[in-house]
Amino acid sequence: MEKAKISSIQLFLLLSGFIFGSTVILAPGRAARHDGWLAVLLGGIGSILLMEIYAAVALLNPSKTLVDILKEKMGKVVGNLFAILYIWYFIHLASLVLRNFGEFICTVTFPETPMVLVIGLFAILLLYAVNSGIEMMGRLGELLVPAIPFIVFIISLSLLSAHDFTAFLPILENGIVPVLKTALNIISFPFGETVVFLMLFPHLNRKEKLKKVVFISASISVLAGIALTFRDIFVLGTDLMARITFIPHLTAMLIPWLNVEPLVDINLLIGGGIKISVCIYAAAKALSQITGIDDYRKLTSAIFTFCVVLSIWVYENVIEMFDWVEKVWFYYSVPFQIIIPLLLLVLSLRKKQALKGNDIENGNVEQ
Amino acid sequence: MLLILALFAVLIVYDLQKFIQQKAQARVFVLYTFFMTVSLIISLFLAAGKRPSSPAQWIETVLAMIGVVK
Repeated sequence: MEKAKISSIQLFLLLSGFIFGSTVILAPGRAARHDGWLAVLLGGIGSILLMEIYAAVALLNPSKTLVDILKEKMGKVVGNLFAILYIWYFIHLASLVLRNFGEFICTVTFPETPMVLVIGLFAILLLYAVNSGIEMMGRLGELLVPAIPFIVFIISLSLLSAHDFTAFLPILENGIVPVLKTALNIISFPFGETVVFLMLFPHLNRKEKLKKVVFISASISVLAGIALTFRDIFVLGTDLMARITFIPHLTAMLIPWLNVEPLVDINLLIGGGIKISVCIYAAAKALSQITGIDDYRKLTSAIFTFCVVLSIWVYENVIEMFDWVEKVWFYYSVPFQIIIPLLLLVLSLRKKQALKGNDIENGNVEQ
Repeated sequence: MLLILALFAVLIVYDLQKFIQQKAQARVFVLYTFFMTVSLIISLFLAAGKRPSSPAQWIETVLAMIGVVK
């Protein structure tokens, strides 16, 4: 395995940047309308538990990546099959984020520029980052991710006078069902997507801090998500939120005396860039582990090329993209984000129990 | 079409010379060829305006067959 190590603060920032990735432009709580904040809160609690499961799987299998764990727990053939499915999932996720980025930039900032050019240039930049290794990605996160909350804070503060603090009332007007549905969607997007970090956790230099880092990162992301949902509801109102595509962009446009739109672009560049880099790194690394290739970097350019093509191919337009994500993404993601990690946790715990049992038996024999 | 072919040619030549210099394993060539060929074929279809049905549609169809998605 690659000997590169990242510190707990770097992992924390990579995780937070990953969660904020496309969330900064898509506002995942909007489907629950007035109760979006409640959906983010409920989904967030579930997400923290889910991310702790990922951390527990990593801690029960120290220094092993997702591919190693799958092969060890499920056997070589089934393990490799699941690993290939995960590689597809990571590549698909990266291409979705690339498309989100392309759609946003071509709708809002550069309407005359072909999307393939925007996506292609971004991909070249990220290829350089991924080829520089996980340590460089960690340092990049350390340098850039702190800008995200700073920018969000500037935008939110500038809009303080435009708030209608009663806009989130009445609570649960349409019952609890839409809130729960949205909460489930929030678990799968963006929090469940952090399953990709099972390929990165072995690089953490101080393993004992993993659970703490994951918990703090998830909690801060949930709190920030609730704050952002409240801001959007207070500033725009739920009727307008239901009708527009890129909510944070419109929110930023409402500041009368300051043009802060480019700051939303910067947030997406940082968050989306980190998300895509992590996904491609994980996919290339997993593929190199399965096939026994010594260096994952030999595959990154081919995977990036495929990703760019897939991002253009996968949806015909932005409406289809949002419709698919709303209808299909959760069900498609459940096996990758919940079922397989839970299965791995159970198998890892059983192995640990068996080892403990053996130790006690051996101890008894010695006595 | 020509632009796509030229772009892929540049990418492939650049990467292949790197692989040959580094004496990369045969499996690297196989995987690289697989990804690039699929990408090139889909790009040519997209450029010709004949978009093949996408993986998103396949996934939706599979989930609809299982009965998870209506």
